[in-house]
Amino acid sequence: MAQSALARSERINGWLFVMPALVLLGIFMVYPILWSLWMSFQVGRGMNFSFGGTANIMRLTQDPVFLRALSNTMLFLAMQVPIMLVLALFFANALNDSKLWGRGFFRTAIFLPCVTSLVAYSVIFKSIFAIDGIANQTLLVLHLIENPINWLSDPFWARVVVITAITWRWTGYNMIFYLAAMQNIDRSIYEAARIDGVPAWARFWFITVPLLKPVILFTSVISTIGTLQLFDEVNLLTQGGPSDATLTLSLYIYNLSFRFMPSFGYAATVSYVIVILVGILSLIQFIVAKDRRA
Amino acid sequence: MSSLKLRAVRKSYGNVEVIKGVNLDIKDKEFVVFVGPSGCGKSTLLRMIAGLEPITGGDLEIGGQRMNDVDPSKRGIAMVFQSYALYPHMTVRENMGFALRFARVPKEQIAKQVNAAARILALDPLLDRYPKELSGGQRQRVAIGRAIVRQPEVFLFDEPLSNLDAELRVHMRIEIARLHKELQTTIIYVTHDQVEAMTLAQTIVVLRDGIIEQVGRPLDLYDDPANQFVAGFIGSPKMNFMATSVVASGKGSVTLELTHQGKTAITLPLTGPLPAIGDKVTLGVRPEHFELAGSGIADIALDIDVAEHLGATSYIYANTASGEQIIVEREESRHELEQSGLSVAIPATKAYLFDAAGQRLR
Ligand SMILES: Nc1ncnc2c1ncn2[C@@H]1O[C@H](COP(=O)(O)OP(=O)(O)OP(=O)(O)O)[C@@H](O)[C@H]1O
Ligand SMILES: [Mg+2]
Repeated sequence: MAQSALARSERINGWLFVMPALVLLGIFMVYPILWSLWMSFQVGRGMNFSFGGTANIMRLTQDPVFLRALSNTMLFLAMQVPIMLVLALFFANALNDSKLWGRGFFRTAIFLPCVTSLVAYSVIFKSIFAIDGIANQTLLVLHLIENPINWLSDPFWARVVVITAITWRWTGYNMIFYLAAMQNIDRSIYEAARIDGVPAWARFWFITVPLLKPVILFTSVISTIGTLQLFDEVNLLTQGGPSDATLTLSLYIYNLSFRFMPSFGYAATVSYVIVILVGILSLIQFIVAKDRRA
Repeated sequence: MSSLKLRAVRKSYGNVEVIKGVNLDIKDKEFVVFVGPSGCGKSTLLRMIAGLEPITGGDLEIGGQRMNDVDPSKRGIAMVFQSYALYPHMTVRENMGFALRFARVPKEQIAKQVNAAARILALDPLLDRYPKELSGGQRQRVAIGRAIVRQPEVFLFDEPLSNLDAELRVHMRIEIARLHKELQTTIIYVTHDQVEAMTLAQTIVVLRDGIIEQVGRPLDLYDDPANQFVAGFIGSPKMNFMATSVVASGKGSVTLELTHQGKTAITLPLTGPLPAIGDKVTLGVRPEHFELAGSGIADIALDIDVAEHLGATSYIYANTASGEQIIVEREESRHELEQSGLSVAIPATKAYLFDAAGQRLR
């Protein structure tokens, strides 16, 4: 089929426009991804490595530190994502009430943590949960505890602190998505429900939540990915300690590459574990949330 | 059972008063329509009756009980919204039955009531569809069905037909009239469409700027408007208004001079208090009341601007010598009109007179 000169020139122009982006994507995204895939089959230390086939995968199954990091990550995921999303949903619902006093202030206050400097907030969290920090002092004054809790050196409490920190940081972020979606819901739907005698909890549970389903799915996928890659908080607060109680997969990858004798191949294998987990979990969430009636 | 009584009802948003003291009695089983221009407070008044807006002052009684502070769900009302307000994630059946689940109605009873409402509204074949799979008219029927299912004493409608096209609007109008006959409940219906108001209402309430201008049966408002606003608002095309001044007054009649009509004088009989000589008054004549020149009390010459032939009748848009626009409705000898100019007569018995404040002089 003969192409007009105009159509051809449009096509060339189009490619010229997207080319810079494609080149950059190729160099900084596609190439490293392929390179790391190749790396994940390499064994060896430092700069001398050789092809090892499935050796790295075998090593995964026998590596207690990896299994520890994996179970920690899954624990964080299972505890933190639901808590955070439910909290975000409740905050959004409360702050969507136009009669609420000072809601502009509360919206900002809840959103602020996720734009706060990571280092600054880690320092503050560390000082709050220090042995003589404000958390202990408050609990002591309230007589909820007898002796100060050693937050960051107790495996259980260290995990609690990490979960609290991520939740504190990202709840507002998710809340913004819910708020935006809620404001798109026709107000008269709620008015109709009110007149018809549908109680407030049912308006939330049977109207708001189903109508927010696509956004809830989106935030849960995003949060799952974020938590699977959890690195910053644990690195700054606990460095994975005490005795690997808060070690995550990302932190382990970092340790394998930069802290221990570098083992790049094995580190790449671990990072593909995260990729596969993200893929599987996202798929499950899509299937669970799939609108069967649509 | 379901009469309504409003006493000095007021509503303010901050410093702005939007409902300025409304007194109204609505009888049981009456079909009442609130009409008025945009922003006059029709929706606000309806929402106050529904309980969606708090009442700033005055009393609201439904069925003899003061309802100012009663929860919307306990007022015995159901409301149909302009935007339909259907639950998008529920089927028609679920939409209609949803609220009953929280009224502790047993499942079989819900199904029975939903089916009954669906039959009334011919929704049977659509019960398992979602709102997005319905046309505008069907959605509106579902919204009405959802209201019927609750068996309320009073139905509130807020411009339910304004999102529909003209043909469907006529169809739904008839449907709503039929529904009122069938259900025998009180209906309060808000519209800014005066045709809807005229055709549906037993009683029309004309609102302007948060106050009631007139309450009455449709034809009473049409034939006997209390003021210039109602006279102009009810009727389509609008009543024609001409500026005049009083030149003689006494013995139960006034003589007017059509100010810019080459001093044409008109004498009208009046039974009430007479205006003083020199008063500025407004003469109102409906388009269909003009007569052929020579037969009425005063002839005015008009320049024809545009003629709209609707079939059975024609509307002639014309200007007086002074530039006032006059609409004349004609059913006969319409072809001739277009060639020649038009001269019409004002019938003495069908002309309305309004004082400078817009109040009717009778
Ligand atoms: N929440 C509010 N805050 C302040 N003013 C309001 C509010 N809601 C309505 N108003 C004002 O109250 C007046 C009446 O509004 P309302 O919605 O009752 O008008 P309406 O007669 O229903 O008009 P329409 O035919 O356009 O629907 C308007 O002037 C409007 O600006
Ligand atoms: Mg309105």
